[in-house]
Amino acid sequence: MSGTLTHAETRSTLSLHKLGVFCGLAAAVWLGTAEAPTKLVNAGFSPFIISMGMVMGAFVARWTVPTLLKGTGFVFSDLRAKPHLIVWAVLAGMLWAVANTLTIFAVRNVGLAIAFPLWNTNSLVGLLWGCLLFKELRGAGFKGWSKVLGGAFAIVGGAAILAYATSQQSSNTPGKAAVGILAALGAGLLLGTMYIPYRKAYISGMNPLSFVTIFTLGELITVFILGGIFFGGLGNLTGELERARPMLFWPFLGGFCWVVGDLFQNFAAKYIGIGRGIPLSNTNQLWGLAWGALVFSELSGLSPTGKALVITGSLVMIAGALSISTATPPVSELTSWEQSMHRECDRYRLDADHVAAVVAGNDPLAGQPHRTRWWEVLVMCTAAGIFVWLALGTNVQQISVSIPWMIVLVIGTLVPLGVCGTLLWRRTRFS
Amino acid sequence: MKRSTAVAILTDVHLWVPVVVLILGIILLMSLR
Repeated sequence: MSGTLTHAETRSTLSLHKLGVFCGLAAAVWLGTAEAPTKLVNAGFSPFIISMGMVMGAFVARWTVPTLLKGTGFVFSDLRAKPHLIVWAVLAGMLWAVANTLTIFAVRNVGLAIAFPLWNTNSLVGLLWGCLLFKELRGAGFKGWSKVLGGAFAIVGGAAILAYATSQQSSNTPGKAAVGILAALGAGLLLGTMYIPYRKAYISGMNPLSFVTIFTLGELITVFILGGIFFGGLGNLTGELERARPMLFWPFLGGFCWVVGDLFQNFAAKYIGIGRGIPLSNTNQLWGLAWGALVFSELSGLSPTGKALVITGSLVMIAGALSISTATPPVSELTSWEQSMHRECDRYRLDADHVAAVVAGNDPLAGQPHRTRWWEVLVMCTAAGIFVWLALGTNVQQISVSIPWMIVLVIGTLVPLGVCGTLLWRRTRFS
Repeated sequence: MKRSTAVAILTDVHLWVPVVVLILGIILLMSLR
């Protein structure tokens, strides 16, 4: 007990709300950056294959850096303590895979301008489930509700303005528009519902690294099944992947960034809930836009009205993020969160004291040093080797890239990783 | 897995909401092919 206290005492006293907000914003940076490498893919490849490459990259990336943070021993013991949550982690991966495939149909049929804001409503769906199923915002008062709801709507509104302003694509086939809108709304519903497993895992005391491990597995299996169905068999799918080999490094790199972003998003969902964490991480569109506009000069032909819309949309989105960032949950709301946690402990016979400590970022086991096993090193080297193998002989689309802006944005991406990673380590030891 | 845990999982609303949404999503996806 004294050892536990010593660990807790040496940790930072940063509030969990601030930590969650930092994680949500870092998630936005990395999820937005994940879009950048896919811009280097040559034309002529199915968006489904590019998406699949990202999922495979995310799966492989999970076994690189995250393995260094927590040994697999910690992850497996976490999973053994809450085996029921494996079901929810797989389910979340399946929801993501189906939702992502729907977004491909949506963009094809109605274009990004209409599709993106529609599936960006996932944060509102998440907010609804957070409130209904996990008692988020209960007891937050009028001020809390206004800040969170207003912020979430502002972020969706900002997304709509940005998508409208930046889209070069118009709705092509009118007959297919309804199908595209349905696909985008379906994706929003699925992505918003995916946050139910996220929140459930974290109020049960699961570590985000354990959750993401199973999540990427569920995701990978589902995209392979879907790919097999869409390409008329696994043989055809493998053929497509072989054809795509020269460009696979880019979606893999995107998958790497996605895993980092998803980990931060999971920590945000853990420490500030899905009602606040998901809208914050959904500001990733701003970072995707920054890469597109500054590095790839995608907006160079934009009219003055278009540029004004981009600035307006960005400001609206930033205002929404600021509103949510300042909506610290009052004690009455935290009591509601606690009730949800006790529901899980009673239902699945979890140790309430231990879960409460983990939920508060004070996992007694988190500070203990882990012994790196030889096969963990082998797994990490294999995962890193796959990235190196793909990078060798990869093709780059001949497009102009602004190197100075790329350096600025790479630094701007690494800084939140360093800052937020340090904050997470100091406050929670990645628990 | 214990029988009581399996029962707790199968009677949990947190399971059925995502499962129903997933099924709806798969139906939608298949109808778009």
